[in-house]
Amino acid sequence: MTDGDAQRPRALSGGTRRAHRPSHRLDDLLTDVARGDESAYEAVYDLTSGWVLGAARKVLRDPAMAEEVMQEVMLEIWRRASRFDPAVGSGAAWVMTLAHRRAVDRVRSERSHAERELKAATAVIDYDDVTEAVENSLERQRVQRCLGSLTALQRECVSLAYYGGYTYAEVAGLLGVPAGTVKTRMRDGLIRLRDCLGVAGVQR
Amino acid sequence: MTSNDPDLHTLVGAYVLDAVSAEERARFSAHLAGCASCRAEIGELREAASSLGTAEAVRPRPELREPTIRAAQATGQLAPVLNGGQSTRRHRAAGRPRAIRTLAAAAAVIAVAAGAGVGTHYADMADHPSTRPASVIDAVLSARDAVMRSAPVTTGGVAIVVASRHKHMAVFMAHGLRPLPRTRSYELWLMGPRGERPAGRLVVRASGMARPTLISGMSASDMVGLTVEPASGSLKPTSVPVVMIGPQSL
Repeated sequence: MTDGDAQRPRALSGGTRRAHRPSHRLDDLLTDVARGDESAYEAVYDLTSGWVLGAARKVLRDPAMAEEVMQEVMLEIWRRASRFDPAVGSGAAWVMTLAHRRAVDRVRSERSHAERELKAATAVIDYDDVTEAVENSLERQRVQRCLGSLTALQRECVSLAYYGGYTYAEVAGLLGVPAGTVKTRMRDGLIRLRDCLGVAGVQR
Repeated sequence: MTSNDPDLHTLVGAYVLDAVSAEERARFSAHLAGCASCRAEIGELREAASSLGTAEAVRPRPELREPTIRAAQATGQLAPVLNGGQSTRRHRAAGRPRAIRTLAAAAAVIAVAAGAGVGTHYADMADHPSTRPASVIDAVLSARDAVMRSAPVTTGGVAIVVASRHKHMAVFMAHGLRPLPRTRSYELWLMGPRGERPAGRLVVRASGMARPTLISGMSASDMVGLTVEPASGSLKPTSVPVVMIGPQSL
């Protein structure tokens, strides 16, 4: 039996980050990962693990749990890479869909009914709190600015769902707004966000 | 599900934000299959929603990188979907001892998670049709009901047990173990209502990493215990276990 560490000197020395411009590069890398390309996967890790961890932390509010979710999602990326289809959407959107869904599933299973009520109060304002370790503050500012272009209700609906992990029905309860309205605001809020951010994913 | 269910279509935004129940998610996914315009809209809105996440990027601790990457690479990959859901099996490159890779990776991941002392359901990660067990150890790790649990070793290090109740087997792993003098060794025991049964001797490398050890004949009420014994061996544990894991935790 050999030591796993000894087999993989390349990975151990792999602190070098690949090109910092993910967009199309990420799509290509994911396609390579689907074929079992291990070095492409390392590059994907370097590009996306920070996004995944950041999103998980926002949703879970627990650094240790967020790290677990990040690791699970990175594993999912490897496993499911063959399901990524660049014709359907960007690699970033694909990765973040996996990440967000996993984080939301986790937070829902973790939350007790009582906790739910408590955290709701903070979730509304939390979208613009300052995290010390945010990697890409320019991107963050841009998204914050676009969130600011939504109506207050749109913003609350989108933020409570995305960062709070609440269902539209729960958001309706929290905000005292009919569920049908919340569904509509989530949709038109996202449309406005999309329009403000510009064409999909280009700036990444 | 018909593609012109107007009520369902209003879920587009909530669906993209994962703000739907599991049932609604399933219903909407079915709806999507027959609704090209929904798929297009979802594609666009997903790009916007994902920006909400990527904008919050934080740098992961560097020590997570290596174990996470290795854990993934030791895992089987899903085959591409052919003609609407029919998939073929795909296996990782031959010639590499898969079980070893998987274990090392699992151990590495748990080593990272172990600080929090959390148990993790391994089933979702390992239970996959394309993950073909290459050995009994691998079969335990990829058992549908495999559950992973870690605990600190009182004399130093972390122990990890992946157990399958259905298979009545477990895999014991550990790292960071304190080296023992030649006259002593780490011994595993199954400890249950019927007393203690020997479950194997650990082989510990200089690095403090124990070789993954298969434990068979495990019943639901057994715990896995590790003790330090004379190197000549013991029929029963002669010292207090340095770690015990299970069964309620498994």
